[in-house]
Amino acid sequence: MLASFHKYRHAFLIGLQSNIVYRWNFAVRGFFSLFHLAVVFILWGAAFAATPNIGGFALGPTLTYFVVLLVLQFFIGAFNEDYQISEEIRNGLINQFLLKPINYFVYRFSIFLAARLVSGALILVPLLLAFPAIRGYLAFPHEWWRLALGVPALALSALLQFSIAYCFGLLTFWFLEIQGFVILSMAVESVLGGQMFPLDLLPAWVFHGAQFLPFYYQMYFPGAIITGRLNDPHVILRGIGLEACWVLVLLAIAQTLWVRGLRRHTAVGG
Amino acid sequence: MLRHLEIWLACARYSVVRTLMFRGDFIVWSLVEFFWMSVNLLLISVIYDHTTSVAGWSKYEMMLLVGTAMLIQRFLMGFFWSSLFEMGRNVRTGNFDFFLAQPGNILFMASTRKLDPDGLLNSLVAGGVVLYSAHKLDLHPGLADVALYVFMVLCGLVIHYSILVISMSAAFWLTSAQGIEGGYFTLTEFSRLPREAFRGVARFLFVWLLPTVVVSNAPAQAIIHGFNLRWVGWLIAIAIGWFGVAIFVFYRGLRRYTSASS
Repeated sequence: MLASFHKYRHAFLIGLQSNIVYRWNFAVRGFFSLFHLAVVFILWGAAFAATPNIGGFALGPTLTYFVVLLVLQFFIGAFNEDYQISEEIRNGLINQFLLKPINYFVYRFSIFLAARLVSGALILVPLLLAFPAIRGYLAFPHEWWRLALGVPALALSALLQFSIAYCFGLLTFWFLEIQGFVILSMAVESVLGGQMFPLDLLPAWVFHGAQFLPFYYQMYFPGAIITGRLNDPHVILRGIGLEACWVLVLLAIAQTLWVRGLRRHTAVGG
Repeated sequence: MLRHLEIWLACARYSVVRTLMFRGDFIVWSLVEFFWMSVNLLLISVIYDHTTSVAGWSKYEMMLLVGTAMLIQRFLMGFFWSSLFEMGRNVRTGNFDFFLAQPGNILFMASTRKLDPDGLLNSLVAGGVVLYSAHKLDLHPGLADVALYVFMVLCGLVIHYSILVISMSAAFWLTSAQGIEGGYFTLTEFSRLPREAFRGVARFLFVWLLPTVVVSNAPAQAIIHGFNLRWVGWLIAIAIGWFGVAIFVFYRGLRRYTSASS
């Protein structure tokens, strides 16, 4: 058990080093995210000019929601893990893992955690620069239980997002090009994950239905706990339970894809 | 000029044949673009479920604006995106040599080698959004208004093209232009917002300094409120200005190009 832990700790540390090499790429991406945040502030600011609250929330809590989502994206979101896995399969680099006592999912997840640590730290830099301009809009709730429920929801969300990216990466066993599927899925995730707008602004029956899909737990659920859009601890606990179920389902799908994919895989060369 | 048209037609024919070979790919990418356009329209729809006006624009005025922005972007994706996207990679790998040896203007050859029929197909959807919004607004533009709108959309296409050429030309200096295209998409997000929503520094930066807002606002305003000489003149001026900057940056960058092939 301990030996296994050390094995993946090293994978994590190597991941950390290789991601620090790409710190400028993350920094540039973080910088451009500020422009996206500017679009959000301008659009929703103009929408709130005509009405004091939208969906029961004032401008401040709504903008806080989008700021938190931006931070979460860099801390727990899957960036290009699907492409990396796809490349490893396509280029045959995956072959080295087949002969070693390494679980490929855990190995990739260790690297994912390292990458998110670097990208998460780097998004704080542009946010700190923008802080004087946005701090007047930020409005966080103060209940302590949000932290206690928010942390497990965030951890499960990270695992959920990585599992989805992992499954898309494994599709390379069947398809030569997965980019189209990934971007198609991103469009669905951006809506049903609450990245375009808070999901509670949708008609009640759509919002209720969305809670049974995994996308709801990718961003909206942890974001809504932290920013006060979800207020009932019992509802949140039930949500964490559903989130855990989706994680298990996705882990099962990932394992099935891995086993079946390897049957199709041909390792060539020495 | 005629020779370049012949070259472009040959490239277009090659792109269509290639698309017919990879039909599955064509369907997936058409769906990708269609989904992303739907996402933007859904955002507008959700916002207007809770408010009646955004910066003085009604729901269908806003949809006409977003439709116009999408129309310009679909044309860019259809006619130039793949070629310019590959330009960044080709500069890094040295494959850009191929374009230097071709019998035509280098920027023209590098920009028009590939057409994306999926982008062009979705321009019909974007055009449909504009028509539907105009119908909902009970607009009855004359032939001259439509011709002016089309002309302004083409000016917008020139501006978008110029921004993309400038962005991708960064590869001549940085070697790797990976991720720079993300900057283009971020900047064009502003083109889906009404000009009146911008205040203070944002107004100066995105309305006056960068052409990201005017490209869509000018044609949309023209079709909603009628001909405005100031808007048209401004759009033509910045289209010429940014196209000039793009050509300058591209050829300055080209001087730095050193082939990477053996």
